[in-house]
Amino acid sequence: MKEDLFLISEIERYLEGEMSVQEKAAFDELRRTNPQINRQVEEHQLLLQGLDHMSRRQQLQSQMDAIHGELDMSTLCMEAMEANQAAKRTRIRRRTITNLAAAACIALVTSLSTIAILQNNSRNKSTAQYEDVRRVLNNIQRSQNALINDIKDKNKAPINPGTYGGTGFAVSGNGYIVTNLHVVAGADSIYVQNTKGEAFKAVSVFEDISSDLAVLKIADSTFKSQPLPYALKPQSVTLGEEVFTMGYPRDEIVYGKGYISAKTGFNGDTTAYQVSIPVNPGNSGGPLLDAKGDIVGIITGKQTTADGIAFAVKSAHLKRLLDEMPKDKQPKREWSHKSKLEGLNRVDQIKKVEEFVYLVKVYN
Amino acid sequence: MKHIQDIGKDKDLLLGLAKSDGKSLEIIYSENFPVVLRMILQHNGSEDDAKDVFQEAIIVLYEKVCGGDFTLTSRLKTFLYSVCRHLWLKKLQSNHGLYALPEELEETIPATDIIDEHQAKDEQYKIMEHAMGSLGQPCKTILEDYYLHKKSMQEIAEKFGYTNSENAKTQKYKCLMRLKKIFFDKYNTSL
Repeated sequence: MKEDLFLISEIERYLEGEMSVQEKAAFDELRRTNPQINRQVEEHQLLLQGLDHMSRRQQLQSQMDAIHGELDMSTLCMEAMEANQAAKRTRIRRRTITNLAAAACIALVTSLSTIAILQNNSRNKSTAQYEDVRRVLNNIQRSQNALINDIKDKNKAPINPGTYGGTGFAVSGNGYIVTNLHVVAGADSIYVQNTKGEAFKAVSVFEDISSDLAVLKIADSTFKSQPLPYALKPQSVTLGEEVFTMGYPRDEIVYGKGYISAKTGFNGDTTAYQVSIPVNPGNSGGPLLDAKGDIVGIITGKQTTADGIAFAVKSAHLKRLLDEMPKDKQPKREWSHKSKLEGLNRVDQIKKVEEFVYLVKVYN
Repeated sequence: MKHIQDIGKDKDLLLGLAKSDGKSLEIIYSENFPVVLRMILQHNGSEDDAKDVFQEAIIVLYEKVCGGDFTLTSRLKTFLYSVCRHLWLKKLQSNHGLYALPEELEETIPATDIIDEHQAKDEQYKIMEHAMGSLGQPCKTILEDYYLHKKSMQEIAEKFGYTNSENAKTQKYKCLMRLKKIFFDKYNTSL
């Protein structure tokens, strides 16, 4: 007991630094050699720390209690309650708004998807109905494009090979030429070439997208005007009437013969005829003439799903178009006179006409 | 700018708290208590709960600050709020089983580690308090006077009527040995 007391006093002195240097060294040595004493020291330290901690904590506690006592608790509580009430209200409001928003979103999604499904269904239905038509439309577009003769590959093309080619024919002696718009659309420059191999530069002066027609004007000083041998027939022709065309599906002019097979064009287009005539890419823009040598139409395209079916814009429509052109650009009205080809046989007709049928070359 | 000012102010307050400066404590207390009170009241607590939880949080803070290795990574307000929130959540869970505090917009920081650390210290404190409580008079007062109130042995000898300070010292050592026994009996079993 006494030893314990002595030890504890020694430990206390040691920890509080009251020992002399020698004493401390001796005690350190003792701690090292005797683990029991070392443990006692550590325990003592821990105890003192605990006591210190407790004292500070109690002090803090009493300080806090004092401060707490000074607080106006009832006011604070009231304020807190009020703030909570307000927060609750906004929270409820916010929750309501969130719910409403969620409901609205669901409603919106449902209705949109319903609409989408319905529309999709109806479109499926209508495409099922229209499929034929659309396919035909696509085809006609493709065929129309295909009618533009791609003469890029043709190495023996005279002067400059154009990127695309089509056919055109004169509608006046002074250099106005009608062709298809799809032949010249997007062109950088246009050249026309007649059967004699003479090429002239031309510019597009008028275009009509709906009927796919374009009017070119030869802008070349070397061009000499000639009187037209044929006329534009203002009335429609009768069904079954024999017609012929000339065009440039190759570099050489090609003659084709056929008959008017229907009075309307593709998809009931009243401005065009259906013609049963062999046409090939490059025939686009070629003239369609009747037996008397009058222009009755302009070849525009063919139907790929059926053999030998081509379409031609009616000459009446072309005439209306020419009349609508701005006055300063209008070609001389030569097309109304009587055709000089009437009564001639076909070979002579062709001989006369071929000079006025041009190969249209387009660079872009 | 305001944020930086706040942090500067918070640092000053913490320094004050470490030095047991009553003024700093008072500022911290009065500025942060209302928020905590509000939070506790909102979540099924009473005024007294708020007081307990908040004071515990202050103790946590104090221990941290005294430990010296504490750097405030957020605003003091956020720290105290987070600690209180966690303490209260823990209390609610132990009392009512599972109870989750609804997530709110207030900024909080993870305080689980801080609280776990605090609980170890708190355990020690409770054991010490218990040991002191079961020590009996006059031992308790002698030890309190010497170790807590830092009175000299001379004063203690006079107060308790010992003939000299040596006698008082012997008595103190005896008391200390008893305290040590009670404390470590409990401490070692609790570990």
